[in-house]
Amino acid sequence: MDRRSFLKASGVGLASTLMGTGLLSWTPRSEAATISKTYYINDGTVAMPDGVSVYFKSYGDSATTLHLPATSIICQEGDTLSISVVNRLLTTHNFVIGGLKAGDPPLASTGNIASGNTGTINFTIPTGAAGTYMFYDNVTSYNRFLGLHGGLAIMPAGSSNTLYPNSPTFKYQKFWVFNDIDPALNNAVQTGSAIPTTLKPRYFTINGLSSRPPGATDAGNPAVDAMSDPRSKLSGSIGDRTLLRIINAGICSHSVHTHANHMEWLTDSGAIRPTVWKKDSLYLRNNFGKIDSIYPFSPPPDAYPAVTTGHFPMHLHDEMSQTAGGGLYQFGSMTEIEFI
Amino acid sequence: MSGMGQACYVYPGAPATPGLVTADISFQRGINMQGAITMDDGTVITMWGFTDLAAGGGGGGGGGGGAFAFPSPAIRVTEGQIVHTTLTVGMMWMHTIHHHGIEPSTENDGVGHFSFDVYNGSYTYQWKASSAGTYFYHCHTNTPLHAEMGLYGGLIIDPAPLATDPVGTNRVFNNGPIYDVEAIWACDEIDPAWHTLDWAAGTCGGDVGLNNLNPKYFVITGVDGANSALTKMALNLKVGQTGLIRYICAGFYPQMIDFGGLTVSVVESDGRPLPAAWDTTAIEASSAERYDCIFTATTTGTWIVTVQYLHWITGNVLGTARTQIVVT
Repeated sequence: MDRRSFLKASGVGLASTLMGTGLLSWTPRSEAATISKTYYINDGTVAMPDGVSVYFKSYGDSATTLHLPATSIICQEGDTLSISVVNRLLTTHNFVIGGLKAGDPPLASTGNIASGNTGTINFTIPTGAAGTYMFYDNVTSYNRFLGLHGGLAIMPAGSSNTLYPNSPTFKYQKFWVFNDIDPALNNAVQTGSAIPTTLKPRYFTINGLSSRPPGATDAGNPAVDAMSDPRSKLSGSIGDRTLLRIINAGICSHSVHTHANHMEWLTDSGAIRPTVWKKDSLYLRNNFGKIDSIYPFSPPPDAYPAVTTGHFPMHLHDEMSQTAGGGLYQFGSMTEIEFI
Repeated sequence: MSGMGQACYVYPGAPATPGLVTADISFQRGINMQGAITMDDGTVITMWGFTDLAAGGGGGGGGGGGAFAFPSPAIRVTEGQIVHTTLTVGMMWMHTIHHHGIEPSTENDGVGHFSFDVYNGSYTYQWKASSAGTYFYHCHTNTPLHAEMGLYGGLIIDPAPLATDPVGTNRVFNNGPIYDVEAIWACDEIDPAWHTLDWAAGTCGGDVGLNNLNPKYFVITGVDGANSALTKMALNLKVGQTGLIRYICAGFYPQMIDFGGLTVSVVESDGRPLPAAWDTTAIEASSAERYDCIFTATTTGTWIVTVQYLHWITGNVLGTARTQIVVT
C-alpha cells in the first residue's frame, strides 16, 4: 500500500464507525477508497433482563469485548472492503457478506477460518450494489443466532441521502438488527452438548439489547436498555427523515410497528418495491429478512391539538417478542421514538 | 400493585385530557373480564373485552362493566372528526386503548410506559381522524396477554362524503373506489393455555409462557373458522355489486389469506391509499397489518376464502380458518 492509499484508508476507517448519536456517519466521496476493518471472533456472557446469564459469540472490535451485533460498516459503490477476521475461538468460523436480494449469492466471504487464524476479504464493490446487507457466520446453521452477525450499508456512489438511485431521500440512517435468543442453544454450544432440534426463543433483542421500562434496573442506561441505546433509539425533530436499515438475524419472523408516523417502505429482502407504501406495520421475515424504510418524522397526523414533540415506541407486534424469560412484558425488542 | 395478584412496571393514572375540546363523535368503553366464547368443538374459552358503556348492559366483572363481545364493539368515525374514546377502568386491574395506526400525541397513544395505564377512573383519548381506512384498537397493557384475551376491536375511518356523490355512497377513502357491501375480517389465533392467566401475569418476572404461543383455534372476527365462520362471516353480494374486504391480521403470527381464486384489488393498507392498486389472489401479512381489498362481482358463484396461520419460526400452517364470498 502506498502512502496515499494508506492515509485514505485510515481516514475512511474513522468514517465507517458510528457517531456518538448512534446514527451511521456518512460523507460521500467523489472517489473510491479502501475501507479497512478488523473483527475478532470472541465469546462471553451477557445477563438477560431476568438475570439469566447467556453465552454469546461475536465479531468484536477488540480481542476480548463482545459486540452484539458487530459494529456496522458503511461504504459506497466502488470502494474496496479490506476486512480481517481474527478467530480467537477453538472452533472454525467464517465471515460471509450475504447477497442483496433473497437468493443472491454472497457478496464476499473469508472462507473457513480455523482456530487462531485470520481470514480476509478484499472486495471491490461494483456499481449497482447499493443497499443493505447482513454479514454472518454460516459454518453452522445456528452461529448467526449466537451473535455472529452485523450490518453493511453500501451507499450509491457519491450520494449522501439515497438508498438507491432516485430513491426517496433521508437525512440520517441507522441499523435495526433483530435477534431471538433461546438460551438452550447458546448453552449447548458453550458446553459442547447436543444442539436442540427445536428452538423456542426466550429473549428478543434489537441491536443486541432488550428494552427496560421506567422503574426497572438499568432503565435509561444506553449500554443495557434498548429504549435508550443510541444505535436503536430514533430521536429527531420534524423533517429529520431517517432511513431504517432493518435486518433480521434471528429465527423468528416479526412485524415491525412504529407509533406516531407511518414508515415509507422502500425494499423487501433487498428488492426495491414497485411503489412506496406508507405502513405502520411491516412484515420482517425470519432468517435473513431485510427491510429498508424511512421514518419521516412528520407531525403525528392524528394529534389534536397538533403536536411536534413526544415520546413513542417502536416495537414488534408479534407480542411474544416483547417479553423476557416467558414474562416481563416491556423487556423485549422495543426502542423509543423521540420527537424533540 | 394490583387488586388481583401482583403487578409490576405498570403506571396507573386517570388524568384529565390535555387540550380537551368538544368532540364530533364519542365512544365510551368499559372492561369485561368475564367473557367467554364457545368454539365449534364445544370448548368454552375465557375472554376479556372492551364494552360499550353507552349501550348499557350490566355486570361484567367490574372495571366499568358492560356486555361482553368478541371482538369488542367497533369504533367507526368519519375523516376529519375529532374523536373521544373514553375508557373507564375500576380498581381491580389496568388497561389502555391504543388506536393502532392512529397517530395522536403521547398522552392519547395508550402506551402505559410512555403515559399511564388507566386505573380507578376514566381517561378520554382525544384524536382527530386524518386518513380514512381500516384500523383496530387494542389494549396496550401487558399486551401479549391482553390482546390475546380479546381486548381489541375494529376501527374504521370513512372518508367525508363528496358533495357530488349521491347520499349513501360508500368510498374506501377520499375520492377512492366506491363499494356496495363490506366485510371486516379480523383474523386471530387463540391459545387456550394463555386464557387462565391473571391480567398482570409475568409482569413481575417468572415464566408464564408469554413467549410461547401454541394456538388451537383460529377465528375470523371472533367466529370459529373451523366451521361457523364459513357462513356467519360470509360476504354476500349480487352480480354487479362491488365488495370491500377489510382484512386485519389481528393475531401475532403471520397469516396467508387466499381468496379462493378470486382476484381482488388491494387499494389501501394500514389506513393509507396505495399509489397503485395491487391485484392479487392472496396476501401474506404480519401482525397488525391491514389490507383493504375490493372486487366487482361479475358472475354468480362461491369462493372459499382460507386464512392460514403460520408459525413464526417454521412457517408451518398451524391452522386454517374459512369463510366465503357468495355472489348471487
